[in-house]
Amino acid sequence: MANQGLHLVAVPIPGNYQFRDGESANYVYRLDYQSLKTKDKDSYLQLFADAVWVHIGEMAGWVYFRFKVTNGEAPEIYSDLESKIGKYQRVMLYLVIFLPIILLQINNLSAADRYGPFFMILQGLTALLMFLNFFGMIQLFIRIKKLKKTNYAKLHRTDPEM
Amino acid sequence: MEDKSISKHLPLTEATYYILLALVTPKHGYAVMQKAEEISQGTLRLAPGTIYGAFTTLEENKLISMVGKVGRRKMFQISEMGIRVLLGQIQRMEIMLQSVGKNFDFWQQVSAEEEKEEYD
Repeated sequence: MANQGLHLVAVPIPGNYQFRDGESANYVYRLDYQSLKTKDKDSYLQLFADAVWVHIGEMAGWVYFRFKVTNGEAPEIYSDLESKIGKYQRVMLYLVIFLPIILLQINNLSAADRYGPFFMILQGLTALLMFLNFFGMIQLFIRIKKLKKTNYAKLHRTDPEM
Repeated sequence: MEDKSISKHLPLTEATYYILLALVTPKHGYAVMQKAEEISQGTLRLAPGTIYGAFTTLEENKLISMVGKVGRRKMFQISEMGIRVLLGQIQRMEIMLQSVGKNFDFWQQVSAEEEKEEYD
């Protein structure tokens, strides 16, 4: 979309993305996942700013950055395997923590004595959440596994996994 | 041979090694990025996410410590423990280099490959 002149400007509310018209530009967008404490946040953002990443916004732990590509090489937020896997493991952890809450809610709803449409919708939504959670966990699991199997000759590691 | 509290951090990854080396004098994240690329002669280019994660882990493991803040940038420096870990890693790397130095079979193999290439 950036090539067409539309640029991501803000992520004010979950699910709501704002774009702005502008000149066509070769931007790369990357997302990091962090649970940043307030005291760490400004030095974190400053580090990215120093490395010429433009901070666009955040949403639910996801931090949006943009980089203007000049050399043809699209840069990454993570340059080595370990830290890259770490990001996906953080996301996975969040899903894992969230899962019992969803399961508990399903349990609560099925124990309810009412059958009205309101409760059926609630049950449906909770079931949907559960499936999305499982789906996310499976995708992450596959992604992490695939990363771990990466060809070591390509990356900055001196030690093979034990 | 090595103290357990040192050897549990070894071997260091390339990134960690250069970060620790760069932090012998206090620096902030981006300065470490630049220094690491310089002393690794371009073989190591660190990305910001990796640095942030490395700083967090190294600080947790007490191999570096935060020594101040300049504006929005946190400054870190290697700790005493970090220096010992670095020395442990350097010792290991010296042994690695010596292992190939004394390995006559390897060099024989290398020159055999080179000779083959000349005839191709």
